[in-house]
Amino acid sequence: MSLSGVVAPEKPNPRKMGVFRHSRSARMRTSPGRKVANLLVWLLVAFNLAIFAWMFVNSVRTHSEIFANPWSLPAALHLENYANAWVTSGFGNAILNSVIVCATSAVAIIALSAPAAYILAKTNTRMSETMLLYIAVGIGVPVQVIVIPLFVVVENLNLLNSLQGLIVVYVGLNLPFTIFLLAGFFRSIPDELEEAASLDGAGTFAAFFRIVLPLARSGMVTALILNLVWLWAETFIALVLIQSTDHETLPLALLNFMAKQQYAGADYGQLMAGVCIILLPVLAAYIWLGRRIIEGMTVGANK
Amino acid sequence: MFWPFLLPALVVYTIFMIAPTVASFWVSLYSWDGIGEMKWRGLGNFELLWRDEVFHSALWNTFVILVGVGLAVFAFSFALTMVLRDMAGKRFARAVLFFPSIVSPIVLAIFWGFLFQQRGLLDSFLHGVGFSSTPNLLGEHLWLIVCMGMIWMSTGLYVTIIMAGVDQIPPYLYEECELAGASAWQRFRYVTFPLTWDVISTAMVLWTVSSLKIFDFILAFGGTTNDLPPVGVWNTALFVYGKTFGGRAPTYQLGYASASAAVTLIAIIVLVALLRRLNSRDAVQL
Repeated sequence: MSLSGVVAPEKPNPRKMGVFRHSRSARMRTSPGRKVANLLVWLLVAFNLAIFAWMFVNSVRTHSEIFANPWSLPAALHLENYANAWVTSGFGNAILNSVIVCATSAVAIIALSAPAAYILAKTNTRMSETMLLYIAVGIGVPVQVIVIPLFVVVENLNLLNSLQGLIVVYVGLNLPFTIFLLAGFFRSIPDELEEAASLDGAGTFAAFFRIVLPLARSGMVTALILNLVWLWAETFIALVLIQSTDHETLPLALLNFMAKQQYAGADYGQLMAGVCIILLPVLAAYIWLGRRIIEGMTVGANK
Repeated sequence: MFWPFLLPALVVYTIFMIAPTVASFWVSLYSWDGIGEMKWRGLGNFELLWRDEVFHSALWNTFVILVGVGLAVFAFSFALTMVLRDMAGKRFARAVLFFPSIVSPIVLAIFWGFLFQQRGLLDSFLHGVGFSSTPNLLGEHLWLIVCMGMIWMSTGLYVTIIMAGVDQIPPYLYEECELAGASAWQRFRYVTFPLTWDVISTAMVLWTVSSLKIFDFILAFGGTTNDLPPVGVWNTALFVYGKTFGGRAPTYQLGYASASAAVTLIAIIVLVALLRRLNSRDAVQL
């Protein structure tokens, strides 16, 4: 398994490949300070890799083996850790819940945000600026400020301890950020395209669905991925709104599982196996979509 | 077509974001357990907060994360960006450093705990190389370890953001530096830093917003969904959770917790306003 595929090479930039670039890196190579710095960075990279390697290795060791010497390799492969972890943790059910919640919320978020972002990006009136500011406020409000009223709202909607309740709240919470992200993408689509469409008799509606949405597809995929990354790990709201194991999402199942393994059962082998069950899909998604995820998570700051 | 496009999002956003924020201030004036009747308390909750040492430490910890951890994250990110810039294999290195940003903080906390716990990785390493007595790091320095963990797990994202900004600096500026005989520090001070200022200030806003929301990484150091971590490592997010729904015997002090949330929000607004004044220098035009 190679991580080199994670970040596909960018197109060569002729400006970056000037004579100077070569001369500078030649000089850099000889500098001892530079060597030390490079070494330190590679040590940090090695540390990050070692962490995940360590968790995989110890996921097939027994609890007593791990605590006898956390640094050694497995004497035998205790693959039953995985089966046990899968059963005790209830991850199967939790993954299903998480998939339902994340997929539904993310799609709903994009469906609500895209038209709003489009109209805000393309309208230049006092009202649209006020609205943009009004929405910007939401980006800065931390979860702890709204969690109590949200609990009451969801309780009154009779949606406490249900996936629907969680989905509705997630949609509301992620709208402001997504609207801002998408507005950035829509702004980069030249107005001429819509003007041409309106000359051909297309209204705003048709122009949006036929011209703008297909063009902004990559932006919307980015927004979708970002929302999924965030929703997949969300813990605070889920802890407050979900009380039964039937409806718990993956982070809640992980917290419960961690509690069981660290205290009641004290089985770190199983704990690591459980952690690996959580990690493997994320790692696979990262290898598959890495460049997109990295770009997506940095694009907002560089716009 | 302005309103039909905007209204659906606006309504949902208002109901689930703005209304709760306003309601939070309103609830903070009452004593309420969420089920029974709300009892008017005026500013009583705030007076209690003023004397509550747990809240003081939670607010202080939030501030330490925002400023202390933040400074460390940005310093490391800048240093890493500078080194990564012309390093062979920089894409691979960056991809590995970034990975913790998309892993569940709970998973990271499980590992981070085992790294420092007694008979954990570090402890047994120290025994292995001959130390006979090792300190109980998790017991005695938990807050420091939690902060180090946050620095470690956040740096990758900011390296990536700053690097994307640095990559946009045209190389001829560095050629000029070369011709003028500028040192590495001067290159950083007069070219890299001013030209990435835009990106940095956005990244600072991003850090301000996301640092306040840090919750699960700290929570996981308590071990279970029932047992909260020691109050010494609480931030305001954990304070709100601890005073309402969290713990083995939840106390449901909704009014009191709302007051603490209101204080947090006001503190943030003041801080962000200060930060914006600090950041309000003009971007360098190329």
